[in-house]
Amino acid sequence: MTNEQILTEIREANLTYLMLAQNLIRADRVEALFRLGMSEEAADLIASLSPAQISKIASGNMLLCKFRVDDDIVWNLLTNHNVRKVDNDATTKLHASILMAGRFAEAA
Amino acid sequence: MAAKSVLNESRQIERAVALIQLGARLQVLESETDLSYERLLRLYKEVAGRSPSKGQLPFSTDWFLTWQPNIHASLFLNTYEYLTKATALEDIDAIMKAFKLYTEQIAACDVEPLLSITRAWRLIKFVDNQMLSMTKCSRCGGHFVTDPYENSRHFECGLCVPPARAGKSTGTGGILLH
Repeated sequence: MTNEQILTEIREANLTYLMLAQNLIRADRVEALFRLGMSEEAADLIASLSPAQISKIASGNMLLCKFRVDDDIVWNLLTNHNVRKVDNDATTKLHASILMAGRFAEAA
Repeated sequence: MAAKSVLNESRQIERAVALIQLGARLQVLESETDLSYERLLRLYKEVAGRSPSKGQLPFSTDWFLTWQPNIHASLFLNTYEYLTKATALEDIDAIMKAFKLYTEQIAACDVEPLLSITRAWRLIKFVDNQMLSMTKCSRCGGHFVTDPYENSRHFECGLCVPPARAGKSTGTGGILLH
């Protein structure tokens, strides 16, 4: 992958992310806060962006969306990496959902 | 008493319709809207196409503490708490939104939803009245529905340490361990 390709792909990912976020926020603001895991202020800001602004923000050498799983327990549950007492896919996913919903409740 | 507002009334009807569509019992509607019993009854028949179920609502906190329902209730309550912390929302609206997100997440995990909107509403009332609360699991750090006096130092959730007979049911759509 050349440097130019990397920049194009980052730009595309940013564009997709920002447009999806904007659509979600406009469709249902409250639900979007949960789905995107962002604060009200950030959501209001994204909702108010114009298409020109979005395309301007999207081009750069950094991704704008951040990795949401930032701890080992959730990560292991999602990937089923550690074989634990419970190893049913659906159940570990459910466990991860509970942890993630709780984590963000702490952060918000 | 505030003057009767048509706008407010229309909002109340809208909310009642949304609740009926989610399958709420009449008691929930009576508690969450200012509409009269007769009007709610008529509305219910019109929206659901049948008479509302009769009888009392389940009133015990025990159901929420049994293994499977506890996991469902915890997922819902975490989502609800997230929404109420993230944004200023009326309780009943937060319950409806959280319920929608809960059903979505449960469907994504291929599990039958155990919690009904009426149960979910009941759960929030129990938590408001300190009859139930959430305790942090000492193993995974997740928050789970428990009795209000649960010892948080030794508490382990039903997913980290499943009870002996958990997950053995043969019915489909239940939570399985393996």
